[in-house]
Amino acid sequence: MAPKKTAPKPAAAGSSKAEEKKKPAAPAKEKGTKDGKVEKKSAKPAAKPAAKPAKPAVKKADKPKKDAAKAKSKTASKKAAINKAKKVQTKVIKGAFGTRVRKIRTSVKFHRPHTFRPPRNPKYPRKSVPRRDRMDAFNVIKYPLTTEAAMKKIEDSNTLVFLVHTKANKHHVKAAVKKLYKINVAKVNTLIRPDGKKKAYVKLARDYDALDEANKIGII
Amino acid sequence: MGKVKCSELRTKEKKELLKQLDELKTELTNLRVAKVTGGAASKLSKIRVVRKAIARVYIVMHQKQKENLRKLYKDRKYKPLDLRAKKTRAMRRALTKHELKLKTKKEICKLRRYPTRVFAVKA
Repeated sequence: MAPKKTAPKPAAAGSSKAEEKKKPAAPAKEKGTKDGKVEKKSAKPAAKPAAKPAKPAVKKADKPKKDAAKAKSKTASKKAAINKAKKVQTKVIKGAFGTRVRKIRTSVKFHRPHTFRPPRNPKYPRKSVPRRDRMDAFNVIKYPLTTEAAMKKIEDSNTLVFLVHTKANKHHVKAAVKKLYKINVAKVNTLIRPDGKKKAYVKLARDYDALDEANKIGII
Repeated sequence: MGKVKCSELRTKEKKELLKQLDELKTELTNLRVAKVTGGAASKLSKIRVVRKAIARVYIVMHQKQKENLRKLYKDRKYKPLDLRAKKTRAMRRALTKHELKLKTKKEICKLRRYPTRVFAVKA
């Protein structure tokens, strides 16, 4: 690789820089790529006479040789060295311009490019303490109903009837009853009474008796 | 239970306060049930007492919490908004004392060159 490059490059000084870059790279890598080296040696003398008379321009002569070399070079490190040399060459040729590569557009549309959006990492919490949960078990269940209809429900359908916070939903009621009275609930039916309060019919699980629980609670 | 006093509550720890809160709340639910099932007058009057006791416990709990938070954020540059000085909206947006004091170099030169002279007339 090294001897081949020296021959056709009298003019470009930058190219010589590239050479120098390659020279230390090549001997360092020679150890690793004995096969590649052998192949190169055989291929290059053939390419050399072919390329030399064909292309008068020094720089152009480099490129096909470079491509040939590229095709034959096995290691990625050698490719890197070649790329580096190419970059230096373009810099020398074009000066301060011409080093940016044009992006390849594969679609006629232009979409806003994705930018990095870091997750939130506030320097201080806006509120010192989050609001406490207002729907705790005590707040959800107001009190049980003791009307005659409610009593009937206790005896016949194994359900307890509660007046409940208007903002509570069936899940709230189920959890609250479990927590306060330690009974398992089969299902909850709710309705809003004409006077604006919410009534919850809480059907207990099979292994619980509504009558016993009502006695425990204090309604009867 | 005896009267629940704030001064006593302030000596308690957070866990104890939470336990007391739970007890008071269960007592309240029992009293409410008693109200529905036609309980004694003594029970009915107790409802108010227990409600106020619960309020006292919350007061002490939140006061302690705020105090501890203020201690935590005391010498930090950025504080949560509710721990910053409340004052008024306009005052919060006004220039700080330091910002009011700032002068341009031109102004400083002027003041230095032509200070206000003070004279006194000899008697």
